Amino acid sequence: MMIIMHPGASKAQIDGVITEIEKQKLASHPIFGVEQTIIGAVGESHDVPKEIFEALPGVLSVSRISQPYKLASRQFHEQDSVFEFNGFSVGGNDVVVIAGPCAVESRAQILEIAHAVREAGANALRGGVFKPRTSPYAFQGLGEEGLKYMAEAREQTGMPIVAEVMAVSQIEMMSAYVDVFQLGARNMQNFNLLRAVGETRIPVLLKRGLSATIEELLMAAEYILSGGNTRVMLCERGIRTFETATRNTTDVNAIPVLKALTHLPVILDPSHSTGLAAYVPPIAKAAIAAGADGVIVEVHQDPAHAISDGKQSLTPEAFATMVKQVKAVAEAVGRKFGN
Amino acid sequence: MMIIMKANATPQQVENVIEQVKSAGLAVHLSQGIEATIIGAIGETHNILADRFEGLDGVDIVQRITQPYKLASRQFHPENSIFPLDGFSVGGDEIVVIAGPCSVESRSQILETAIAVKEAGACALRGGVFKPRTSPYAFQGLGEEGLEYLAEARAQTGLPIVAEIMSQVQLDLMVKYVDVMQVGARNMQNFNLLRAIGETQTAVLLKRGLSATIEELLMSAEYILAGGNKQVMLCERGIRTFETATRNTTDINAIPVLKKLTHLPVILDPSHATGHVDYVAAISRAAIAAGADGLIIEVHPDPARAVSDGKQSLKPEAFAAMVKQVGQIAQVMGRELATVSREKA
Repeated sequence: MMIIMHPGASKAQIDGVITEIEKQKLASHPIFGVEQTIIGAVGESHDVPKEIFEALPGVLSVSRISQPYKLASRQFHEQDSVFEFNGFSVGGNDVVVIAGPCAVESRAQILEIAHAVREAGANALRGGVFKPRTSPYAFQGLGEEGLKYMAEAREQTGMPIVAEVMAVSQIEMMSAYVDVFQLGARNMQNFNLLRAVGETRIPVLLKRGLSATIEELLMAAEYILSGGNTRVMLCERGIRTFETATRNTTDVNAIPVLKALTHLPVILDPSHSTGLAAYVPPIAKAAIAAGADGVIVEVHQDPAHAISDGKQSLTPEAFATMVKQVKAVAEAVGRKFGN
Repeated sequence: MMIIMKANATPQQVENVIEQVKSAGLAVHLSQGIEATIIGAIGETHNILADRFEGLDGVDIVQRITQPYKLASRQFHPENSIFPLDGFSVGGDEIVVIAGPCSVESRSQILETAIAVKEAGACALRGGVFKPRTSPYAFQGLGEEGLEYLAEARAQTGLPIVAEIMSQVQLDLMVKYVDVMQVGARNMQNFNLLRAIGETQTAVLLKRGLSATIEELLMSAEYILAGGNKQVMLCERGIRTFETATRNTTDINAIPVLKKLTHLPVILDPSHATGHVDYVAAISRAAIAAGADGLIIEVHPDPARAVSDGKQSLKPEAFAAMVKQVGQIAQVMGRELATVSREKA
C-alpha cells in the first residue's frame, strides 16, 4: 500500500502513520519528496483495510498496490481451476454451454426445452425457480415445485442443473436438487448469502453485478472461496452504461482481464448482456473468441409467450445454429467443445 | 412519431397538436384512450425534430418510432456498403487490419513500422500527425512532415495510409496525402468538421465518441453522408464506464447492433478499447467473431519508448501472432484477411 501524505504534513503525522503501519505488522518505507512524503506499507496487506490509514491525520490518499483478494487471485493459484461435472469439465480446455429458460414455467415446458437444448449440444440446463424480478407484481417463480421438474429433466437428459438461489433460507432446500447454485447480479454483494453459499460444497455460478467493477466481482468470489467452497465460476452478464440500444453493455474486456487476474473459470451470459435474441449468437462467439470458458444462454420453445425474458430468448432452432457457430470458434482458438 | 398528451390535456390542446403535425406535412393517427390521448405523426419524419412537438401545450412526451438518420440506415440501403481501398475492399467479405503507431515520431520509426506491419499481414498503415492529447503539454504531432513520411511509407510498402484530421484547417493538406481520414473520438460531434469532410471524396474512419450512443454515432455518419461522401467506416473504440481495470470498456454489442442498423462497414480499435497490450489479441478475435469488418491496431517497434500510447501498442512480433489468430477466426466466419495489392508493393 502507498500512503500519500498531504503537502505540509507534520513530522508527528508522518510518525503516526509509520506507527500504525508497524502495528498492522507491515514494514514502512517512507520516501521524503520535495513537496510530499509517500510511505510504502509492505507485507501481507490483502486483509488490511486501507481505511485504517485513510482516516489518520495528514494522509491525503491511500492506494493499494497488491490485490485485495487472495484465494481468487492467479498470483496465489497460478494454474486454472478446473471442476468436473458429469461428463465434462469447466475451466479446462472444454468450452461449456449452459442453456434453458429464464424461468421454469411448467413441467412440460422445462422437459421439452431440456431435450431440445441437449440435442443441440448443451452441457447443462438452466432454469430459475426463484426469480429476482424488478416488479414485485411479476411472476416470482415456481419454487420447489420447479426444482422437482428440473430434477426430472436432469434424470431424462443427464444434464446437471443450474438454478438461482436468492436467499439464505433457500439454500438447504435447493441443496437437495441443484448441481450449481447461481448467484444473480442483484445478489452479487449480498454478503450473507455469499458466506452461506461458501459453507456448502455445491459449485457456484457468480454473476457480476450491474454496476460492479471486476475487482468487486473478485471480492465477492473471495467471500465464497474463504468459506471453503472452491468451485466458483464467474459470469459476465453485461454492465449498466449510458447506451440504450441494448439492455446492458457486454464488457467483453472483462474476459481477458479476469483470465489474467484469476484462476477461476469465466463464462458469459449474452442473453442478459444484450437483451435481444438477434445479438446473442454474435456475442456468444465473441466471448469464446476472447477466451471465455463457456456461455449461459436463455432458450425458450415459444419466446413470444415466455413469462419472462422472451425478447432475449432463442428458439431451440436458433440455439442449435448458435451452438454450431460457437463450436467452430472454440476450435479456432484451440478449445474442445463440451461433450 | 408518437405524441403522448398529458392526462388532463384539453380538446383544444389536442386540436392544436394535430394542426402542427399536419403543417409539418405528416398524416395524423389519433387514438383516444381512457387515460391519455396519443397522436401518431406518420410520414417522412427523420428530418423533423421531436422538439417541435415537445414544447406544445398539453404534450407529455414525444417518442420517435423511426430512426432519425436515413442515409446511414440499412432500411434505406439494405445491401452492405463496400468500397475499394487500393487493392482490397472494406465492408465486403474481406477483413481489413489497419496497423501502425499512435503517432508518427520520425521517418525511420514509421518506415520500420510500415514494413513490419505489412510483413505481419496488415493491409493499411495508421499513424497520427495531429494528435488530440489530453494534456496541452504532451507531444502534439509532426504535422505535414509526418504526412510526408507516411507517404514515403506508402510508396515503399503499397499500404494505403490512415491519419487523423483534427480541424477543418487541415483538410486540404490531409486530402493531398491520406487515403483515409480518421475522425477521432473527441471530434465525433465536431459538426463543422464532419460537414467539411462530407464535401470531400476521401474515405473516412469515424470513431465513436467516449460517451456517444450508437445512435449518435450514426447521426455523425449521417452528417458526412449528407455532404455526398459515401465512404464512411464506423469504429467502436470503447466507451467510458465505471470500470477502471481497462482504459475503456469495449462495447462489443455495438458490432452486431451497428451491422443491423447500418450498411456502413464497422471496425474495432482494441488498442484504445482496452488500453493494454495484454488484452488486444483477445478483443481483436472477439470483434471478428462478433461480425466486425476489420480492426485498427497500434503497433510500435519499441513500445517502451513510444511518444504516446506505449502501454497499448503491440510489438511487431506480437502483432504478427495476433494477425494469425484473427485470420483463423475470420475463416470460421467465412471471411478472409484483406491483403494489399501485390503490384503496388
